[in-house]
Amino acid sequence: MPTLTSFFDKNYQTPEFIKNKKTQQNRRHFLKSAAGMGALASLPTFNLSAKTQTSLTELIKTDPWLTLDATLEQLLPSSATGPSASEIRATAYLYQVMTVQPTEQDEKEFILKGVGWLNGYANSEKSANFVQLSFSDKEQLLRGISQSTAGRNWLNTLLGYIFQAMLAPESYGGNPDGIGYQWLEHQAGFPLPEEGQRYFELPTRARIDLISRVDYDNKQKKSTDQHLVKIRKKSPQGTRKS
Amino acid sequence: MSYDICIVGSGAGASPIAHQLAQAGAKVLVLEKGPWLTEKEFFKDELTISIHDAYNPKLSDEQHVIEEEYLDENDKPFWQGEKTSDSGWSWWNGNVVGGSSNFMSGYFHRLKPIDFRLKSEFGAINGANVADWPISYDELEPYYAKVEREVGVSGRVVEHPHQEPRSTDFPYPPIAELPMSSWIDKAAKKIGYHAIPVPRAILSEPAMGRRSCEYSGYCSSYGCASGAKGSGRAALLNHAVATGNCTIKANAKVYKIATDKDGKITAVHYYNSVGRKKSVNAKIYVVACQAVETSRLLLASSGEKFPQGLANNNGQVGKNLLFSGGGTGQGDFNFADLPEQKVNELKQVGPFINRALQDWYQISDNSFTGANKKGQAKGGTIDFLFHQNPIARARGTQWGLSKSGDEQLLWGEDLKQSLKTEFTSYKTLRFEVFNDWLPTDDCFVSLDNEVTDQWGDPVAKVRIGYHDHDLEVGEYLSKKAEKLLEALGAKNVSSSVSGYPSTNLMAGGCRFGNDPKTSVLNKNCQAHEVDNLYVTDGSFMPTGGSVPYTFTIYANAFRVADKIEAHWLTLQS
Repeated sequence: MPTLTSFFDKNYQTPEFIKNKKTQQNRRHFLKSAAGMGALASLPTFNLSAKTQTSLTELIKTDPWLTLDATLEQLLPSSATGPSASEIRATAYLYQVMTVQPTEQDEKEFILKGVGWLNGYANSEKSANFVQLSFSDKEQLLRGISQSTAGRNWLNTLLGYIFQAMLAPESYGGNPDGIGYQWLEHQAGFPLPEEGQRYFELPTRARIDLISRVDYDNKQKKSTDQHLVKIRKKSPQGTRKS
Repeated sequence: MSYDICIVGSGAGASPIAHQLAQAGAKVLVLEKGPWLTEKEFFKDELTISIHDAYNPKLSDEQHVIEEEYLDENDKPFWQGEKTSDSGWSWWNGNVVGGSSNFMSGYFHRLKPIDFRLKSEFGAINGANVADWPISYDELEPYYAKVEREVGVSGRVVEHPHQEPRSTDFPYPPIAELPMSSWIDKAAKKIGYHAIPVPRAILSEPAMGRRSCEYSGYCSSYGCASGAKGSGRAALLNHAVATGNCTIKANAKVYKIATDKDGKITAVHYYNSVGRKKSVNAKIYVVACQAVETSRLLLASSGEKFPQGLANNNGQVGKNLLFSGGGTGQGDFNFADLPEQKVNELKQVGPFINRALQDWYQISDNSFTGANKKGQAKGGTIDFLFHQNPIARARGTQWGLSKSGDEQLLWGEDLKQSLKTEFTSYKTLRFEVFNDWLPTDDCFVSLDNEVTDQWGDPVAKVRIGYHDHDLEVGEYLSKKAEKLLEALGAKNVSSSVSGYPSTNLMAGGCRFGNDPKTSVLNKNCQAHEVDNLYVTDGSFMPTGGSVPYTFTIYANAFRVADKIEAHWLTLQS
């Protein structure tokens, strides 16, 4: 699979994590996913700094956060009708998604790739990076990329995180003082988690790996052998009986 | 160390055994795969509960294979399995101490006498393996009353055409209700229905060392931070441990029950919290890991005398698995159509609706075209509820239609308007229909030949065939519920009934019965083939009834606890 260079690359296939999310949302979605992880195999253009001491104000001065911040603000702009991306701290939330929450690597890479693709598109169309453009030029570019599947997936991923930033407990980095709850007249439950009590910080069952290597290796070997002699099952070709 | 009683699992089927036997003085060990959390670790956090499903295993570590029926090009049916790590469809319901009872809604409807004798009452149904229970309602009734006391059930008895006999009143008054409850009462009366208050396993006042409900508005599927919800952990295991006779080993994953050449259980084998293989002995063994995993454990526990799995020489383990038939429906109340007072009533959050319809628990209607030609059939229960999760509600608001009618992404002002409209212009009242999931040959648990869990053990493969009769009953009940929504003035009334299983409501797989050829357990839920093995989760049910299972699982486990105690005492003497 060639390295993708833009939202409009014909080789783009919707990444697995997006399909999985859809499945989880529908819970009843049983289509087999097509192959296509190769589309995201190359390294991202940017590396994330996981150093929490780096303040977000510094981070958003350079890419990728500069462009992500501007994109989120375009998706949820400041206006009298309701809070903006910056008011719900969407960038801070997304930063936690990318650095603190155990988000899938594929998803993080896809978000970062989109930054490169968006700026590539901005430069080819407007000869400038996305952040340097006017509100209406930005709008035109986002409308443009939303015509492609990749662009739509990328924007939809960011919109999903805008919803979370707006409506998840404040300890996850967004929704300061419940601004999202207030705006949408939603009464939150209680208690809400504080830092240290978020979903990825709860005591889980201890990770149990077999201590005995011999045991483990034997089991692995056995199951590999089984695979060798078995004909691989075909995926369902038919339609579900209704 | 050797124990008197070793229990695998810690949920609604396990905790009454631990509670009763520890109080009787037996040394009890509970082995639970998940961690031991307390009230301090449960939050009303949508990310934890629904988006990241954080109280359950990762599907890449532990999963199931689900077999569905497909039609090929020639319309010939075939069954095809799919790993849940591929489909994303988790079949776990809370792998923590107390199990899924931590996250239940706690609708505690009893079964009714008719549920114990479906075959005698309605006759056989083609394609279904309906069987009468070996016990009657009267034998279980005292234990329903016991659960109401020990676990704590709040409710109010009302006159009703299908009211089951009760020996006692509810020990706790009903929990607080929303204005919608009286709306439903009025509308039901108007159209000749009988709305009944739903008994809930939620304390309406502090008792037994637990706080009362704090009405946070998030209950179903969330862990309870006040202790009011009657989970096996909060209501029973804490008291069991307090006796000094009960040890709970969390993070202990049982993978095999070993037997000797005579078929006698020699040990329970498990992986401890750091993955070491451990084993433990007891005089009596109890399995209660929820239906699918209980069957899986027995099937995986083969031995010289049990080549097909423990207590499975008749091939019945895993068979006749049950879910809940039925579906869901909804109707919208548009604020613009209603006076301000009504809108304010609708906007209230915290208390419960707690209303159900059981007018058609037994259908007697010539227009019903089910299996029985005279319009006689087992019906079911309809419960009403509001959903709360805001992130789930926001999802979808980013999609709109372009001028040419294509679906397009919304953002900016369009998105703000879409969100605001979604959240502040209406409220959706929902209902859930519960009816019998008929047992069939196409719904069972086996071991998968290829897929293993993180320890290398075969995972459960579940075939999820359903009987068309379930859909007919579900549709019939849904239409009745829709009529109530219309009488309430709801708009966009709709419902959806499907043959997909409700993965949080499961039973069967180890039927109890008097005939050792056709059942796994005897009427005391003791394995026909293994004297000191009991199964006390929902696996015992030959038919499931038309209400959520937890209450009946609790009641039956208290009943069996008495049998186990008597058994244990004979071993003492």
